[in-house]
Amino acid sequence: MALDIKKFIGRFVEEAKDHLGRMSSGLSLLEQGAASTEEVNSLFRSAHTLKGSSRMLRLEPITQLAHSLEDLLSALREQQVQVNHAVMDALYQGVDALSDQVEQLIQQGQVAELSTTQSQLCQRLSGLAEGKEVLADTLASSAAIESEQPPRGPDTEVERSTPSLSTSDTVRIKLTKLDELIKLMGELISSHASMRDMAATAQRIEKQLQQQVEGELPLAMRQFSRDMRDIVLLQDNLTQELHDKALQLRMLPMAIVLDPAARLVRDMARTLGKQVECRVYGSEIELDRQMIDQLADPVIHLLRNALDHGIETPEVRQKAGKPAQGLLQIRARQDAGWVVVDIRDDGAGLSVDAIREKALKKGVFSGAVLEEMSDQQITDLIFMPGFSTSAIITEVSGRGVGMDVVKRSIVDELQGVISIQTSPGEGTCFTLRLPLSLAIMRVLLIRAGAQVLGFTAQYVSELLSVAPTALIRVADRNAVIIRNEFVPVIKLAELLHLPQETAPKKTLSRDAKNLLLLVIRVHTEKLAVQIDELLDERDLVIKQLPEHLRSNQLISGMVTTGQNQLVNLIHVPYVLDMARKTRQSTSTVVSSEYAKPKQRILVVDDSLNTREIERDVLEAWGYHVTLAEHGADGLQKALAEDFDAVLTDVEMPIMDGFTLTARLRENDNYRNKPIIIITSREKDSDRRRGIEVGADAYIVKGSFDQTSLVDTLKVLLD
Amino acid sequence: MSESQLDQLLAQQHNNEQAIIDVDEPVIKLVIFSLGEYYFAFPGLAIKEVLPGDEAVFFVPGMPASVEGVINLRGDIESVIRLHALLQLPSADEKNALPLTSILLARGTAMHSGLRVDRLLDVVDIVESQIQPPPDALPEYLRSYVTGLLDFTGLAVSVLDIDAVFAAWQKGQG
Repeated sequence: MALDIKKFIGRFVEEAKDHLGRMSSGLSLLEQGAASTEEVNSLFRSAHTLKGSSRMLRLEPITQLAHSLEDLLSALREQQVQVNHAVMDALYQGVDALSDQVEQLIQQGQVAELSTTQSQLCQRLSGLAEGKEVLADTLASSAAIESEQPPRGPDTEVERSTPSLSTSDTVRIKLTKLDELIKLMGELISSHASMRDMAATAQRIEKQLQQQVEGELPLAMRQFSRDMRDIVLLQDNLTQELHDKALQLRMLPMAIVLDPAARLVRDMARTLGKQVECRVYGSEIELDRQMIDQLADPVIHLLRNALDHGIETPEVRQKAGKPAQGLLQIRARQDAGWVVVDIRDDGAGLSVDAIREKALKKGVFSGAVLEEMSDQQITDLIFMPGFSTSAIITEVSGRGVGMDVVKRSIVDELQGVISIQTSPGEGTCFTLRLPLSLAIMRVLLIRAGAQVLGFTAQYVSELLSVAPTALIRVADRNAVIIRNEFVPVIKLAELLHLPQETAPKKTLSRDAKNLLLLVIRVHTEKLAVQIDELLDERDLVIKQLPEHLRSNQLISGMVTTGQNQLVNLIHVPYVLDMARKTRQSTSTVVSSEYAKPKQRILVVDDSLNTREIERDVLEAWGYHVTLAEHGADGLQKALAEDFDAVLTDVEMPIMDGFTLTARLRENDNYRNKPIIIITSREKDSDRRRGIEVGADAYIVKGSFDQTSLVDTLKVLLD
Repeated sequence: MSESQLDQLLAQQHNNEQAIIDVDEPVIKLVIFSLGEYYFAFPGLAIKEVLPGDEAVFFVPGMPASVEGVINLRGDIESVIRLHALLQLPSADEKNALPLTSILLARGTAMHSGLRVDRLLDVVDIVESQIQPPPDALPEYLRSYVTGLLDFTGLAVSVLDIDAVFAAWQKGQG
């Protein structure tokens, strides 16, 4: 076990040095009064991360120091404490003490107990956070005593263990150096393309010489051109292999993050008085080093949350009829060019009501807005900064930093996707979807208007070629039906305000009439963007935009294609946001025209896109719409409130639409209310079954147009 | 000769060297260029490289109007910014004048970027005393960037501070 830890200490040291460096520069900004809230935040997060990762390695003294620093920084962040001399002094001392501890760790492979000065410093930091001033001179005097004592006997330890940080079979390289190497490889490959051109030229000259000149010259040229071709081919292979190898240098197994996590879980569970078993699957999967580094923090945060808020104490669990021991599963698996990590607990689950209440109390949204949100949207609120539902602040979590850090790292820094699934009483599952590497990704190159753009494959769901007639017009915009789901359609060039082509190219006549749709996806949300041409698909090296341009969220990076052309990579989550905003602005305008008392409709469908489109249509016609995600959710909502009509899909998880209809008919309140089934199941037997269970109307999505839905509704409601 | 004597001699020599008065006036290298009808200069230290105006610039959607696009500089991505709006100059967007323009690769302390200029005039060494302090009559919006004025072969050239220009540009974005 002891050796086991040492493997990770080197990594911790690097990380700690990183954070300490960042903290000291942050502190000097703070001292000059030049620190923005974001910088105070980042100081706080550094302390928070150090606390977390040191706890994972049982570096108790570092944990204590970091925790005390975090206390004071948290008070600064909340502006309960103002920056003054005493505060700055304590902060600097705290960072210095941390550096000392880390230094100690480097030299001796372990940390020393907190010295008296250091534990006093901890008290002082926490004291300052509560607004108490601790007299500095008492500390100074004790420091004098302290320095007389020899440092705690390292001699016994050093003899026993060989230096633990010198792992013999690995070399630590700065990532920037590796990146330079990879950049050079990229350049080499693109310059090699011109070598190929030269070989072709040589061949041409050879042929011309043969026709025009007699003698030895053509022969010599022939030999030259042949040699040239051979060597170009050889180099082709070599450079390609070199490039692949260079990229592989960056890959590390996920065990580096996941294995210590299991221990962390056991330790934390013990402090919390809970019984938890932690199972890790798939830790052999390799990820880019940069991803691994940045993955540690969010994973620790998620585990900590699962332990603290998710899994209940043994007594509570037994009362709920669950085994006393909780189960925490970390499951990594590969899914095409992705790594998916599920962190699943079997605890209490997230309480949607508690989150809603909290959002209301914090004044993040008004009550009316919250009422409109789906459960998924509500649970997503926990990713907002400063949003913590835990009533008490514990040592383990509950300060409301965790989740916004998690989301920021996963979505913004790692280009991944995070989603939550939770059901009350059964547990919560966080799913992280991550690209294998940030340096190289599968990219789809397309043309929209006059612009060539790239989409990273993780966001591409599918490509469709459809006839213009396949588009349906709902609530003033287009949508397309893809397998039982409405997906909104939008012209990419218009959405992004791209320059239009000056002279449209002649496309192949066979495709001329069809529209090319690229369906992009961020977890459940889909959008079909209309593009003009599909150009290429390949693995490309991603380059970052210069720092001063990164505020542009639309572009996540650039790639170089042949002939040194630069192509913009589109950040899909932002495009979805943009599309949603344009949509909302139109739909609210329409609905405001209708001022008559609204009839209430319940829409039940498991597809987010379909739900929203149906809602938009109905709201545009002046109905008040409530959404439900599946049959059971729909049933619950229908029984809780009084609706004038229910619209339901058939195929849904947990409870299907037929069952929902049948169950609603059993209820007095819904015996005579209109229930409409909207589905892609066209078979007569289904239709008959729909009528048998008591539906008033059966609309097939393929033949769906908004007027037929609205007309049907009107007929049924009047 | 004992060691102490040698030391003495060396010390003397050292003092003699210091005593020589530098008669050359300090000079500064300036990169002089035009934007619209006006002439400006950056200190040579701020300009790393000058690229021809027909270098391929790639448009980036969603950027502020002052960002012309990005270029691929030996594998690195650099932005190309137009300063016309910042300096309140009419934008000369005649595409046929492009070959006359240049891109200056400027490096400040906090940021670096290519700058599109209408014409590069010269790169010269100027005696520092030739640069006059900026006049009070300078328009308000220029005052924070201009560090001095220079008469260059009859043209009035404003010497700009690269960090001030970049800082103002970034502020305009935020």
